[in-house]
Amino acid sequence: MKTKTYIALVALLLLLFVADVALGSVYISIPDIWDALVGSPDTTGHYIITQLRLPRAVMAVLTGIGLAISGMLMQTLFRNPLAGPFVLGISSGAGLGVAISIMGGSLLGLGVLSGFGIITSSILGSLAVFLLIILISMRIKDTMGLLIIGLMVGSLSSAVVGILQYFSPSEQLRRYVFWGLGSLSSLSWDELAIITAIIFISLIGLLFIIKPLNVLLLGETYARSLGIPLKQTRWIIISITCLLAGSITAFAGPIAFIGLAVPHIARMLLPSMDHKKLIPLVMIIGASLLLACDIVAQIPFSNYSLPINAVTSLVGAPLVIWLIVKKRYLRF
Amino acid sequence: MKNIVLGCSLLIIALLVSCKNEHPAESSAAITVIDTLEVKYAKGFDLLEINDGYRIRIFNPWPGSKDTLQLDVNRQATVGDVQIPVQKFIATSTTHIPPLVLLKETDRLIGFPDTDYISSPVMRKRIDAGNVEDLGSNETVNLERTISLVPDLVMGYGIDADNPLYQSMMESGIPVLYNADWTEDHPLGRAEWIKVFGVLFDKEKEAYEIFNRIESDYLAAKARVKDLEKPTVIAGATWKDVWYLPYGNSWQGTLINDAGGDYIYKHTEGSGSLSYNLERVLTDAQQADYWIAPGQYTSYSKMLADNLSYQRFKAFQEQRLYTFALGTGATGGVIYYEEASMRPDLVLKDLITIFHGNATSDALYFFDPLTD
Repeated sequence: MKTKTYIALVALLLLLFVADVALGSVYISIPDIWDALVGSPDTTGHYIITQLRLPRAVMAVLTGIGLAISGMLMQTLFRNPLAGPFVLGISSGAGLGVAISIMGGSLLGLGVLSGFGIITSSILGSLAVFLLIILISMRIKDTMGLLIIGLMVGSLSSAVVGILQYFSPSEQLRRYVFWGLGSLSSLSWDELAIITAIIFISLIGLLFIIKPLNVLLLGETYARSLGIPLKQTRWIIISITCLLAGSITAFAGPIAFIGLAVPHIARMLLPSMDHKKLIPLVMIIGASLLLACDIVAQIPFSNYSLPINAVTSLVGAPLVIWLIVKKRYLRF
Repeated sequence: MKNIVLGCSLLIIALLVSCKNEHPAESSAAITVIDTLEVKYAKGFDLLEINDGYRIRIFNPWPGSKDTLQLDVNRQATVGDVQIPVQKFIATSTTHIPPLVLLKETDRLIGFPDTDYISSPVMRKRIDAGNVEDLGSNETVNLERTISLVPDLVMGYGIDADNPLYQSMMESGIPVLYNADWTEDHPLGRAEWIKVFGVLFDKEKEAYEIFNRIESDYLAAKARVKDLEKPTVIAGATWKDVWYLPYGNSWQGTLINDAGGDYIYKHTEGSGSLSYNLERVLTDAQQADYWIAPGQYTSYSKMLADNLSYQRFKAFQEQRLYTFALGTGATGGVIYYEEASMRPDLVLKDLITIFHGNATSDALYFFDPLTD
């Protein structure tokens, strides 16, 4: 891919970021945005820009990067074009954690958790699934088996969530349903700092496995014959995915399709399987796509907004269909 | 042995039902309407006096419905009718409880889904004594248990046209009456549904007296604040970026207005609730003087833990938040949800006390100032 295309994509990313900050329910013109940023912190405009829109746009970027990378990792690990960050049951685990914190509390006679409690239980939920997957992966060598176990863990979590939902009062049920719709809003800068740190750590980890990732695409037997420490690589890949998908799900709820669709778009633009080139591209496209989805979700200048998860699916699903129809197959 | 008895009684019920269904024309042929009873505010029902009882007609039993449902209740019931006063009554919503309490007919309730939601002390005593069967959790009424109780009448409510549960009950011969009090926009319209309970327990006069008292109290309270200055009011709370608020023409919107409050979104019209973006509400309502009913929040700290933006509101900074979520019964049911629709006069007086503290000395009944 030419440098010009890279520059164009980065420019698009910046443009989408500015647009996401500029567009919202309340009209604030670009000069006013600047005034709001540098002006008095007491004004509503300043608050809307710095505490509502900017964190949301930053979260869109972080979520896009995190989910797209974990999607790419899962597709490479399982050599399956349909794999996404949630195939290991991580999001289901997070969902179960949140379900227990919102709906299980009243059944167990405890209070309903909110805010940070929900985030903590989501992280604990995905961590529990993650540990389970690690334990299982120590026993089974087959990657496909791991995929199926991930799906089964997902089904088990859904079943428990279903039972909790059945017995929950409508108020708690609504809270859980809304968590499931995803949201990039209401995150403080402190929370964003945590997610940034997690993504940064994951990216450092990623640097160590670029070569094994490229070899993995050729098959596990071939990778083994080249002396790639397969078990160790698999551990690192799973850890990074759980870290990324688990923490993003905790803060933003389960967000669909980005992880599945973005790696395919990147592979379409880049006629190379080299992860060294693929990773930056996946990050840029992931962030841009989620920013675009967030702009749509905010329905600029209306009083209403749409749930982000619905928008990513509405955009993502046709995109994948189009890719398949255009390319006849998902390149892999 | 018990099972055989139950089986036989179900069979007998089924036979009786099949008999009932064969002669609906015979019973209705001889009915003449003598008088129409007064219904002033409610749009969901009317009451006709017939031979030896009443004809209850329910209009639009669920949102969007154009149906009219009809039930004849008679003192000497013929086949196909319900005999009044109803002896064995099953209710399905806590809003059905206060009319029973006000009419002193609590003994009639034999079943209710999830009795923990009921807070009325009188009714709780009966529940604790085992006189009210728990029919399952949430809105999922246990059909078998309901049938085995052989009730004279089940009072249900429908969210939409799809009500297989009540359909099954009717097919098994149990009369079901839809209560659509919750669809009424006028506060007094909701309370007026006590008149339906009045005819069911053959206490029409008592029901009318109770309603008239509620109405006159309501109107007197409303008149008291007519000329007072109107403070601005915001309501509801967010989930993430979406703020849920009552429409201006809703039950809550009307109450705020009648209490002499200037509701920020008084001009909006619709059913259900508004779901505005946080940005919008932040821009419109930051300077509102009072904030009522912030969802299920029970403290300022819990609100902040969920959303830091709350502290931008003047009402939050000046601690002028009032909630009904703190008033709960012995088993955790929210008293407001149970009693408010039947006692709009008390809700109105609460709001007047909140908005015009100096003009009244009434103590709050449903609402409490939010604490930390």
